[in-house]
Amino acid sequence: MKHILAFIKSIINSYSVLFFSQNRVLGIILLLVSFFNPISGVAGLACVIISLLVCRALKFHGDDLQMGIYSFNSLLLGIAFGAFYHLNLMFVVWLLTTCVMVTFAAVIISKRLAKSGLPMLSLPFILIFWMVLLAANSIFNTGLQQKSNYLLAEIYTGTGNLAGVEASLALTLPQLISLFFRSLSAVLFLHSIIAGILISVGMFIHSRIAFSLLVISFTASCFLNSITHTYPEGISYYHLGANLMMASVAIGSFFTIPSLRSYLLAVLSIPLGFIMINAFTSFMSVHALPIFSLPFCVVNIGLLYLLLLRKLPGRLQLVPVQHYSPERNLYQFLNHQQRLNDLKYVRLHLPFMGFWTVSQGYNGSITHKDDWAQALDFVITDDEQNTYQYPGILPEHFYCFNKPVLACADGVVEVVVSHIEDNAIGKQNLKENWGNTVVIKHADGLYSKVSHLKKNSIKVKIGEVVKAGHQLGLCGNSGRSPEPHLHFQLQATPYIGSKTLSYPFASYFNKHNGKTQLDAYAIPSEGSLISNAEVNLPLKKAFDFQPGYIVKLKDNNGKTECWEVFKDALAQSYIYCKETSSAAYFINNGSLFYFTSFYGDRQSLLYKFYIAAYKVIFNDTEDLGGSDNFPLQLTNNKGLLWLQDVIAPFYRFINISYQGNVTTQKNSLNITAKQFIVIGDKKTQMAETSIAIDYGNLQSFTININGEHTEVQWNIEK
Amino acid sequence: MEKLPYEKPYIKKLHGGVMNKFGGRSGVQPVKSIDGVLVRTLIENYGSPVFVLSEKQIRKNYRSAYRAFSTRYPKVQFAWSYKTNYLKAVCQIFHQEGSWAEVVSGFEYQKAIGNGIPGNKIIFNGPGKSNDELKTAIENDSLIHIDHFEELNQLLALSEELANKPRVAIRVNMDTGVYPLWDRFGFNYENGEAWTALSKVVDSGKLQLVGLHCHIGTYMLTTDAYGIAANKLCALAFNCQTQLNHKIDYIDMGGGFPSTNTLKGAYLPGQDTVPSVDDFAEVITSTLLNFGFANEDLPTLILESGRVLIDDAGYLLGSVIANKRLSAGKKALIVDFGVNILFTSFWYEHQVSPAQDFMPHTENMAIYGPLCMNIDVIRESINLPLLNPGDHVVVHKVGAYNMTQWMQFITLRPAVVLIDEQQRTHLIRSNETLAYIEEQELVPTHLKNTK
Repeated sequence: MKHILAFIKSIINSYSVLFFSQNRVLGIILLLVSFFNPISGVAGLACVIISLLVCRALKFHGDDLQMGIYSFNSLLLGIAFGAFYHLNLMFVVWLLTTCVMVTFAAVIISKRLAKSGLPMLSLPFILIFWMVLLAANSIFNTGLQQKSNYLLAEIYTGTGNLAGVEASLALTLPQLISLFFRSLSAVLFLHSIIAGILISVGMFIHSRIAFSLLVISFTASCFLNSITHTYPEGISYYHLGANLMMASVAIGSFFTIPSLRSYLLAVLSIPLGFIMINAFTSFMSVHALPIFSLPFCVVNIGLLYLLLLRKLPGRLQLVPVQHYSPERNLYQFLNHQQRLNDLKYVRLHLPFMGFWTVSQGYNGSITHKDDWAQALDFVITDDEQNTYQYPGILPEHFYCFNKPVLACADGVVEVVVSHIEDNAIGKQNLKENWGNTVVIKHADGLYSKVSHLKKNSIKVKIGEVVKAGHQLGLCGNSGRSPEPHLHFQLQATPYIGSKTLSYPFASYFNKHNGKTQLDAYAIPSEGSLISNAEVNLPLKKAFDFQPGYIVKLKDNNGKTECWEVFKDALAQSYIYCKETSSAAYFINNGSLFYFTSFYGDRQSLLYKFYIAAYKVIFNDTEDLGGSDNFPLQLTNNKGLLWLQDVIAPFYRFINISYQGNVTTQKNSLNITAKQFIVIGDKKTQMAETSIAIDYGNLQSFTININGEHTEVQWNIEK
Repeated sequence: MEKLPYEKPYIKKLHGGVMNKFGGRSGVQPVKSIDGVLVRTLIENYGSPVFVLSEKQIRKNYRSAYRAFSTRYPKVQFAWSYKTNYLKAVCQIFHQEGSWAEVVSGFEYQKAIGNGIPGNKIIFNGPGKSNDELKTAIENDSLIHIDHFEELNQLLALSEELANKPRVAIRVNMDTGVYPLWDRFGFNYENGEAWTALSKVVDSGKLQLVGLHCHIGTYMLTTDAYGIAANKLCALAFNCQTQLNHKIDYIDMGGGFPSTNTLKGAYLPGQDTVPSVDDFAEVITSTLLNFGFANEDLPTLILESGRVLIDDAGYLLGSVIANKRLSAGKKALIVDFGVNILFTSFWYEHQVSPAQDFMPHTENMAIYGPLCMNIDVIRESINLPLLNPGDHVVVHKVGAYNMTQWMQFITLRPAVVLIDEQQRTHLIRSNETLAYIEEQELVPTHLKNTK
């Protein structure tokens, strides 16, 4: 039963993927619309089923098959066959043959292009159908009876059954609007207003962004033609729909993150399309071959390749993970940009223990200037902001003197200087201004340096491998240091005296007015009082999900789920729920656990856990917070979200926030969280959750969402 | 010119000494205010005698002690020793600063729970814990420090009945070169008893061994002893890890750090002789860091300091009742507070300062309390200026133990006042009344006053 369902899903996906979607509603609409030409409809459906079966037999399993990537070209072939040829025995024979050919071509071309990170689009269909046309027009007999040797002439004749409604629509609708719908239907080799309307509805349900690009590109194309008069009788339905509008949607919202820049690129693709249509038409007319969607393929692949070749992504971003929805791509991207610093930076810890004060920050007024501006000086202060105990005339009187200095991250010791005498208070050594110093290499082009250490206190040797937190030496008063302090900087080269590099610390506590907050991937400012984040071990242990962790859960309604933790090919961990085929990706960086994305069933317990444990800081200090934002697609107010979708590439007015807090109960820890939807100043609670942890094990969680209360119990198997 | 205070005529033998640059002044200074609040006002508002605690000083002490350890060691936790001073307000100051609770009886345990401390942040020490007390502690997931084999067996028996696996630590006593040995608490290290107890706990599988605890003495004047103790506990923890494959979560070094009070019989004042918290921190943390644990296996360091964190934040204000001349001619001062409320005067030579201006002449005298008991001696010998009845005095560094060991004996116990960081005064324990003392008393019918 499950297999059959999956198979049906993959059939529908083959339809929706034509419009860069995995939306079932759109898929079913397209499936129905394809039957406007019954022969095309049957042929298309048959081709999809055949290519899915062929791929299955050849064991081309996986997501690509499930999403219809290998079968949508066959669909195009089937539809085109029905549109071009009369039904007879040979039609069936050659349809089957070429269907298999297209499938093979799709597998080969998609795999080949995927190596360069490019999509194949409808190239397999174009190539194979050219072969069909060339073969049918050759001197040999294929037995195919061509309806017409020019595709569009055929399409224009229309279909019989719906003529009445169609005709009245054609008369009542303004010219441009009926042109819009007909162009859209031409993608399926139809020319019907009703088909166009249905497809539009499907597209709108699938994506407001994509739909808005359809409208924009349609308007731009017509406008461009009205100026240039490239096509005096108007752009043909097929080129307008399949080449210009689809190209805009693809490059403006599917392959790139929707934004003002991507919209501009989408508009730019239209004149490019004009040139290509004309050029390819005149080129292929020699062989009496229609160009189909070749301009669409070339424009998209070309632009995409160009964007891929850029050294830095800039502000026109390509989609890193394809969600088959421009909205989702956009929201997930924005959310990740905010949250996924763990994948961007080497995790730096503070190079000391306890709370220290930044006595001189980046661009400090004393010595952090010019090439050496991005450095930090640290001292220890007491409540009166003194750095020393009375009388403060010896280095020993200073709180930071003699305190351990640690490696900020794993690495190899590059340089050690430890022979320089500590200064008397008030004296400086300008000759050996950096004093006793350790430089550690953490990655290519990333070195850290600690300076002014105590003479002969350095415990590490050049070439030694150190772990984060390993003691390097003791804070001292050597070099250009009138009073004991610790100098810390990041640099791109291994020398003492290299210029500095701006680089954030992964996470640290920042104490301000007696309140502690956790700063992540930030650079502490001058005067801030900071320490490494303490880790609550039971909390850390509870969220230590290693691959192979299996758990059974049961909620108060008797619903059960079984979760297992896996790692994907890119080494990203996720929890997979077998019952609902849902997956929740997460990162555990040792000081906090957070979910990065969720795929699948929103009714599943896994989704509820995703909401509840969206961000958990491994520390039980109350009111530490753990505030975060969800991607916008989680909004439960559909109408508002659709309104947001339309303008999302430019402006976001909705925000979904997460506010977590760890409280210590009698003998357990509780992570309580509230999820809010924030629109302007209005804050409405979306959910309220609580997770109970005992002895470092997850026990249960409760969630109140959409007026429904769920209690889930843990039951670890292994 | 201001009117000089009245001074009783006196006769003093002249000692012809060498002149020095400090002149003849004794060094005694009047202490007219505490944290900016006048002593006179305090006595007017709260009576005499009265205990005064400085919240500012308590927090300062805690923070500097915590800083001393936390800037040298990555995982440090303080636990407030309840027996030192378990007034609710005092405990809450320490808990606000992040301290856990260290209790040594069911009574103190209930106080900690009452202060809102979660069970898993209470350390339950001491040689006498009843079955019921242990049960409560287990249910609350508290840290139980086992003192003797009877208790270990008691816990094993209890763990059968209860769902929770008790979290326990072993209290270890050892030779640290300081005598007398405190070998009456816990299991001895040198004779192998500690290891036996430890293996028994791990092997039982019913108890969760999370920590090792020692408390090598009180008012320790040498840091070396802590180095030796830390080393021995580390050795136990390390052996436990390598031989029993069980990681110890924490090492509890107990307390025992001295305050700057001067012990009776000490030659030099405490201020000049006792090591600072920094000195102790340096020895303890460097022993732990250098012992050879992997960075992620470093045990949490727990400290149960009491005295050093609060002693100098407490003052006792009192008034002079009378002057006397003893048979041998020595002067004596009678004040309105006795040893029943200033218990520590048995151990320390407390510094006592006049609370008002005085003339520079001082005389050696004894200070006696108001009790009609021969033991009621606050100071046997102290040089003070001449004080008149009704004058106020301030006794320094009385924050530790006095407000827990005091007794209601002959007189009633006085009020305790806290001065907060904004110099506002708060009554945190009101003075006792006759009704309060008699509340628990019952008189059989035939003895009732029938008149």
